[in-house]
Amino acid sequence: MIEELLQSSPGWANFGIFFLLGAVLLLIVLGFVTYGILAERKVLGYMQLRHGPNQVGGKWGLLQTVADVLKLLLKEDIIPKAADKPLFIIAPAIAFAPSFMVLATMPFTDKFQFADIGVGLLYYIAVSGLTVFGMVLGGWASNNKYALLGGMRAAAQMISYEIPLVMSVLGVILLTGSLNLNEIVTHQEHGWFILLQPIGFIVFFIASIAELNRTPFDLPESENELVAGYHVEYSGFRWAFFMLAEYVYLFAMSALITVVFLGGWLAPFGFLDFIPGAVWFALKFSVVVFIYIWLRATLPRFRADRLMEFGWKVLLPIALANIFLTALLKSLFF
Amino acid sequence: MLGFAKGLKYTLKNLTREKVTYDYPNKPLPLPDRFRGIQKFYPEKCIVCNQCANICPTDCIQLTGKKHPDPAKKGKIIDTYDINFEICILCDLCTEVCPTEAIIMTNNFELAEYSRDMLFKNLEWLDENDENIRQVNKA
Repeated sequence: MIEELLQSSPGWANFGIFFLLGAVLLLIVLGFVTYGILAERKVLGYMQLRHGPNQVGGKWGLLQTVADVLKLLLKEDIIPKAADKPLFIIAPAIAFAPSFMVLATMPFTDKFQFADIGVGLLYYIAVSGLTVFGMVLGGWASNNKYALLGGMRAAAQMISYEIPLVMSVLGVILLTGSLNLNEIVTHQEHGWFILLQPIGFIVFFIASIAELNRTPFDLPESENELVAGYHVEYSGFRWAFFMLAEYVYLFAMSALITVVFLGGWLAPFGFLDFIPGAVWFALKFSVVVFIYIWLRATLPRFRADRLMEFGWKVLLPIALANIFLTALLKSLFF
Repeated sequence: MLGFAKGLKYTLKNLTREKVTYDYPNKPLPLPDRFRGIQKFYPEKCIVCNQCANICPTDCIQLTGKKHPDPAKKGKIIDTYDINFEICILCDLCTEVCPTEAIIMTNNFELAEYSRDMLFKNLEWLDENDENIRQVNKA
């Protein structure tokens, strides 16, 4: 269906349909963000021997995030006097837009996908790299030293960890011979890439945590050192956008890991094919999100100097070695 | 690496362990019997000896007595008894010194009010404050 729409001649009807589809996806993502935040707080609470939100919306606190967002939208919109106003206003949008754009190529199931482009993986990594501009701009435009420090840390971290992220996924690309996410999924019919590329998966996973700015790599935000990092001066709606970008990336990155390493919508065994692909995708996706939350509850924050050393001196050589190993294995056995 | 795995195992186990939090505003906090909370006053036991007002380090107790209505009996009975909880530090000295245990501690501690005047508790209020009273007193 999407394929036909992409081929059809442009017009208002076409625009309307795409706009509607985009709005539907946005609503799905917002639903995930709402309950992803609640799930994170609940799981963190249970791991810290407390209950987490349990007041708003019944015993499970189901409306807690909704209430939080409503409060944020009602807050006064504060722009510091000395801030660079246009940049300050545009920074949250720059941070958020790429996080939603990357979802366009994500094959949720074999039918539910928006753009089946040939270089889907490259597109994802290239576009997700844009978010760091929003963070640096936000930090700089705030005219606050802590925000600037946070922004600088974000830039340094995102750039250094993007390299092992790309390098580790090269092994998968070598084995598939394609950058198309659909082909990567269909190539995993006889074995997920997590089994064929265990080293690549571990490196990718660590680098992805750093890309998501989550504990133990949450240095750009580090609420107890930098008073929140690049978004100290932000409040209300604009702050909500930074938060939203962070959780939409969690969605996108978990989906990407599911697609690239866990076989996407495919069932783990042939005889389980009767369960629809969407269920398998949702299951794998939830497991990945849970592992992110689990790691957040377990690990303390990295030190800033160790972070750089770990990225450049440990992850990058391992990722490079993984490429050579994969190339060697591919030329010998496949 | 081993420590990392241990940490992961520990947090995973914590998921199902019993929670340490209290459901406080809905259920009262479990407090030990010797907790020092808002006093309970028994007007009939009081002999108006003034010891509580004298020992009070913040001078928050004010009391007046009157003659016993039965002329055959000696001594006084209590007329007014006020504790100012703006300055009371709940030090337990008044209940310690009271020879007849006319004033004792309870486990009630909620003293948040909308106005400062409401923190001025009189004899009737202290008499009605008869929940969660301390079980073990010296007399």
